[in-house]
Amino acid sequence: MTQAEARDQQRFGLMLQLGGVYAIWLREVKRAVRDRGQLIGGVIRPLLYVLIMGIGLNPYFRGEIYGEVKFVVPYTYLQFIFPAVIALNILYTSVQSAVSVIWDREFGFLREVLVSPLPRVSILLGKVLGGATVAMFHGSLVLALAPYADIGLTFASVAKGLGLMFLLAFALTSAGVILAGRIRSFEGFGVFSNAVILPLYFLSSSVFPLDPSLSSAQMRVVYPEWLVFLVEINPLTYAVDAMRGAFIHFNQFDPRIGPVVLIGMAVFFFSWALHEFRKA
Amino acid sequence: MSEAPAVTIEAITKRYGRTLALDAVSFEVRRGELFALLGPNGAGKTTLLHILCTILRADSGVATTNGVDVAKDPLGARRNIGVVFQEPSLDDRLTVWENLNFHGLVYGVPAAIRSKRIDDMLAIVELSDWRDKLVRTLSSGMKRRLEIARALVHESRLLFLDEPTVGLDAQSRDRMWRYIHRLREERGLTVVVTTHYIEEVENCDRVCVIDHGKVLAIDSPQTLKAQHGQQLLRLVPRDDATRAEILAAYPDRIVRDRDELVLKSDGDAFVESLFGKFGLRIRRLAVEDPSLESVFLTLTGRELRDQAASARDLTYEFGKRGGEHTK
Ligand SMILES: Nc1ncnc2c1ncn2[C@@H]1O[C@H](COP(=O)(O)OP(=O)(O)O)[C@@H](O)[C@H]1O
Ligand SMILES: [Mg+2]
Repeated sequence: MTQAEARDQQRFGLMLQLGGVYAIWLREVKRAVRDRGQLIGGVIRPLLYVLIMGIGLNPYFRGEIYGEVKFVVPYTYLQFIFPAVIALNILYTSVQSAVSVIWDREFGFLREVLVSPLPRVSILLGKVLGGATVAMFHGSLVLALAPYADIGLTFASVAKGLGLMFLLAFALTSAGVILAGRIRSFEGFGVFSNAVILPLYFLSSSVFPLDPSLSSAQMRVVYPEWLVFLVEINPLTYAVDAMRGAFIHFNQFDPRIGPVVLIGMAVFFFSWALHEFRKA
Repeated sequence: MSEAPAVTIEAITKRYGRTLALDAVSFEVRRGELFALLGPNGAGKTTLLHILCTILRADSGVATTNGVDVAKDPLGARRNIGVVFQEPSLDDRLTVWENLNFHGLVYGVPAAIRSKRIDDMLAIVELSDWRDKLVRTLSSGMKRRLEIARALVHESRLLFLDEPTVGLDAQSRDRMWRYIHRLREERGLTVVVTTHYIEEVENCDRVCVIDHGKVLAIDSPQTLKAQHGQQLLRLVPRDDATRAEILAAYPDRIVRDRDELVLKSDGDAFVESLFGKFGLRIRRLAVEDPSLESVFLTLTGRELRDQAASARDLTYEFGKRGGEHTK
C-alpha cells in the first residue's frame, strides 16, 4: 500500500496534490465561516474568561508579604490568563473540527474524498490545515481584547504568537481527528469534550501560576503533589507557557521547552492520525 | 488498454464477519454498455460497487476498471471512474458550484477546463439556475442530478450509479434516466447502474440478476425474458382448504406461497384445467405474461416488489439521521 502510494504520489504530480489539499482546506474554512454557532462560541468564550473571570479575579492575584502588596508573578491576573485564553479558544475549535470528521464520515461526504485520486496523506493534511486555520483564527479573536487586558502587542509578539498558535492548532486538530476515529456518535462526543477539554485546560497552569518565587519543595507544600504532577505532565502547560513568553515575556519554564513540545506534539499527533486514517 | 473491457470481475468474494456478501462473482462489462445490476436489498450490489471503486477490498478475486487492477493500483483506478453512491455524499453547506469545483480540484482538473466543464455539466442536468444556491436548499431529485454531474466533472468514461433513483418520485426518476441516456449517447460513457426497480432495467443493454451475493443470470432483457420468463398465474384462494388443495395438486408449479399464490403456467390449457377444478373457490386470478418481474421471481423465488419498500425506508431512515440532507 505504501509502496503503491509512493509511486502514485509521483505520478499524480505535486501541483495536483496541492490543488487537492487546497480544495479540502478551503472547504473546511468555508464551512466554519458559515457556521454561526461556532463563531459565537469563539467570541463569547474569551469575553467570559478575560472580561468576567479575568477582571473579577484581578485584585486577588496578589500576596501580602511583610505588609507589602505584591503580584504573585510580576503581572496582573488579566495579563497572566490572556495567553491561556488564546489556547482555550484553540482547544475548543480544534476539538470541534473532530465533530466535522464524524459528520463527514456518517453523512457520506468522506466517500466523495475517498474515491478521489488523492492519497490519504493529502486528504488528512488538507483537513488538519483547514481545522488549524479556523482554530488559529479563533485564537487570534482573543487578541482583540488585548487593550482591556493591558497587553501591548508588537509586530514581533503577534508574529511569534501566531506561529505558536498555528503549531498548537495543528497538533490539537490532529488529535481531534484521532479521537473522531474512536467515537461512534455525536452524543458520545458531547460527554467527551466536557470530560477532556476542561481538565486539560485547568491543568495547564492556565488560571493559576505555579508560583516561581517558591522553591520546588515549597510549591509542593502549597499545592498538593498530585496537582503539580498533573500540571507538569500536561503538554498544554508548555504550550500556554510558550504563548505567555510571546505575549507577556513571562515563562514559568525554560523558554525553549514550549516550542519544542509544540513541534513534538504536531509531528506526533499528525503521524498518529495518518496511521489511523490509512488503516480505516 | 483502450481495448480492455470497462470492468472485469473475476471470482470476487467478500465477507462481513459471517455474512457472505459476495460469493465468487464474475462478469465483464463491455465498453459503452449500459449495464444494470438488479437485485433485492442485501443482494450485494453496493458491496460490489464499493470494491470496484476501491473503497472496500475484496477478500479474494481480481477486479479491474478501465484495465487497472483496483487492489494493486487503487489511486490509478480511481482517476478514471465517476461514482454516485447510494447515500448522498454532497456537502450541503457548500453551493452547487462549490461542490463541483471542489471535485474538479481534487481530481486535478486544470482551472481553465474546470469552469467550462462545470458549466456544461450544470446545463445538462438543468441546474444552471441553481449554481450559487446552497445544496441544502435543493430537492432530493436535484441533489441526485447534481451528484451525476459531479461524477463527470473529471471526464470519467466509466460511471457507477448506486440506486440513482431510489426515493425519487416517478417524474424525477424518468428525468434521471433521460439524463443517463443522453450522457451515454453524447459522451460514449459506460454506465453500471444498480437498481431494484425492474421497469428501469428494460432499457439497459444487459442485466445481471444478483441475489445473496451470487450472479443468477446475465443477459439482455429480451434474452432473459425468453430464457427464464414464464407466464405466471397469480391467484388468491377463497379459504385455507382450497389453498392446501392447490398446493398439493401442483407441487412443481408453485413459485411462491404467501397471501397470493404464484404458479408457473404454460398456456391457456393449464389455466382452464385449474379453473375447471377450483372454479369459484378462487377469489381472484390474474395471468401475467413473461416479464423481467417473472424472470426474477422464477430465478429467486422472491418478488423484487417486496424489497422496494424497505429500501425506500432505508433511504428515508438515512435522511432522518442525516437531518440536513433532507432539509
Ligand atoms: N458494513 C457492513 N457490515 C456488515 N454487514 C454488511 C455491511 N454492509 C453490508 N452488509 C451485508 O452484506 C450484504 C450485502 O449488502 P449490500 O451490498 O449493501 O446489498 P445491496 O446494496 O444489494 O442492498 C447484506 O446482507 C448486508 O447486510
Ligand atoms: Mg445497496
